[in-house]
Amino acid sequence: MTQKLLDVENLTMRFGGLLAIDDLSFSASKDQITSIIGPNGAGKTTVFNCLTGFYKATAGSMFLNKENERLNLKKFSDFKVAQKAGVARTFQNIRLFPQMSVLENLMVAQHNKLMDASGFTIFGLFNAPSFVKKEKEAIEISKYWLDIIGLTHRADDDAGDLPYGDQRKLEIVRAMCINPYLLCLDEPAAGLNAKESAELNKLLLFIKKEKKTGILLIEHDMSVVMEISDHVVVLNYGKKIFQGSAKETKNSPAVIEAYLGTEE
Amino acid sequence: MRKNFLVSSIKDSLFTGLIALALFGPIVGLRTVAKNEVLVVSPKWFIVLVIVIVCALGRFLTNLYIYNRDQKYGIQSTVGKSITKFLDTKGTQIALSAIIFSVIFPFLPFTDRYLMDIAIMMLTYIMLGWGLNIVIGLAGLLDLGYVAFYAVGAYSYALFAIHFGWSFWICLPIAGIFAAMFGVLLGFPVLRLRGDYLAIVTLAFGEMIRILLLNWYQLTKGPDGLTGIPRPSFFGLPFKSFPEEGEQTFHTFFGLEYSPMQRIIFLYYLILVLALITNLFTIKIRRLPIGRAWEALREDEIACKSLGVNPRNTKLTAFAIGAMFGGFAGSFFATRQAFISPESFTFIESAIIVAIVVLGGMGSQTGVVLATVFLIGLIEVFRDFESYRMIAFGGAMVLIMIFRPRGILATRKPTITLHKKEVIK
Repeated sequence: MTQKLLDVENLTMRFGGLLAIDDLSFSASKDQITSIIGPNGAGKTTVFNCLTGFYKATAGSMFLNKENERLNLKKFSDFKVAQKAGVARTFQNIRLFPQMSVLENLMVAQHNKLMDASGFTIFGLFNAPSFVKKEKEAIEISKYWLDIIGLTHRADDDAGDLPYGDQRKLEIVRAMCINPYLLCLDEPAAGLNAKESAELNKLLLFIKKEKKTGILLIEHDMSVVMEISDHVVVLNYGKKIFQGSAKETKNSPAVIEAYLGTEE
Repeated sequence: MRKNFLVSSIKDSLFTGLIALALFGPIVGLRTVAKNEVLVVSPKWFIVLVIVIVCALGRFLTNLYIYNRDQKYGIQSTVGKSITKFLDTKGTQIALSAIIFSVIFPFLPFTDRYLMDIAIMMLTYIMLGWGLNIVIGLAGLLDLGYVAFYAVGAYSYALFAIHFGWSFWICLPIAGIFAAMFGVLLGFPVLRLRGDYLAIVTLAFGEMIRILLLNWYQLTKGPDGLTGIPRPSFFGLPFKSFPEEGEQTFHTFFGLEYSPMQRIIFLYYLILVLALITNLFTIKIRRLPIGRAWEALREDEIACKSLGVNPRNTKLTAFAIGAMFGGFAGSFFATRQAFISPESFTFIESAIIVAIVVLGGMGSQTGVVLATVFLIGLIEVFRDFESYRMIAFGGAMVLIMIFRPRGILATRKPTITLHKKEVIK
């Protein structure tokens, strides 16, 4: 049994009269890819927004198990989830910094580390050696990730000028640059062609294997889900209707019903 | 295709002529004259005709030649393109020659008192532009009340210098710190605001400070202003024509003839150094994590949060540092004028500084200089035409926005590069 990285327990999110997530419990393991699927409006992105601090969950708890501590993500508000807990995310509609270069995008992701090294800017102003060293390391990390996604030659171009598929990949490695424990990907394959989504699968499997980062994935593209997920959670109307391996999910009557409706 | 285009252009220009007739007919064409103590309308149809023809013809020509303009880069013409390319590639050389020119400027043969005054004024605006560039250009926070920090700097300098008799070099940092504190004070309530709403609140803040200065009579002497602000000294050597017994002054110490220009030249170099410090600081800080976070925040705040960048601290530092430079410029203004009153810190000042930053090209340091020379120079050239000054000012802005919609120098160079070894300007 692999160690559980994320335990979501009885998570509930209510917007006024609308119950977006209803008493949801699931867990995600380290070095596994956990997919959250479900029809439109099932509450998948809301789960992400709760996990990453963009929404404050109405009830329930979300525990992140690190090597020697257990953090309740509910206690961290927006940017602190990424800064303190190490949960990174990407967005359904890509959110890069379009007018900044590819390299700069990755450097911003390493902001907190560099900010400390620059002594809140004061050491940085005078080019303190410790800061220069840290900055070089950060560039090396950026370069490492760019090599992996094959964008090193475009490092100095504006991120907004990249092709769509490359922007998706860049957003994922940018999230990886904060060195997260858990990576939450919101529909990373949306709008990708077959070749690009195969590359995406490769990248995600690499992150899972080499970086031992837990991946939480929302996806509509079933080819991606079925191929790479180790574990699938199916939501409908904010409720978990099924969980199991990809193969089990494919054959589950409850899941088929949620997607296709029942035969009369 | 070509013919269709011609026909539609002619139609369009005739329509423009009609609009011009409807507008200028009543405004220009009908003039009331007093005749035998009765008001009579005396029509001026000839002028109206000229205006209408000019409008229609102008529209026709723009249709023909510069209709296919690019949204991002403005009107594409070979001249415009080559100028753009020149400015973008030779930025460093231009900046260096500008610095050398400004260093030798006071000793050029044609330089007189009037030119020096204009140069000092331009440098003050350049410094303010550079300060505001941090807030608007880098952090993307549209601040329409920047003059408030200029005022805080000027008044805190004046009050400390008058009441405590502290020298310029002590009061300058104090004024900067005070202005930075006001920057944080403004920053806190507007943290959640963006775009138009932020602009409105900052505008109101600027007015609040001005009204406060106007009404807090005990401290600021209200509309009477503060007089007798001490002049700066040259490292302890004052600029005085008649020194008191045994007092060393600038000209006696260096064995020179006294001339009022000495003080002007000193002020000129003072503001030049202050402005260059602002510039160097901005160039450096852009390449530090905080500068990159400012720009990232301008691009996408939500993405910043997802990467663990603290938006509150990042915004507040931008406000504080921008305000600090405004405060430095303010204390220079106070010491140069020796008299300040709320009159000097009206909204139009904020508007001019914002115009300089926007027209220069958001975030571009060289752009701020070009825009300042252009706008302030224009205001000066048209000084004799009084009421036409603002028309020229507005016209210049319209022209820049037509030809360079993203500012004079719009290209942004990355703060850090992997391949090309480029100097960032």
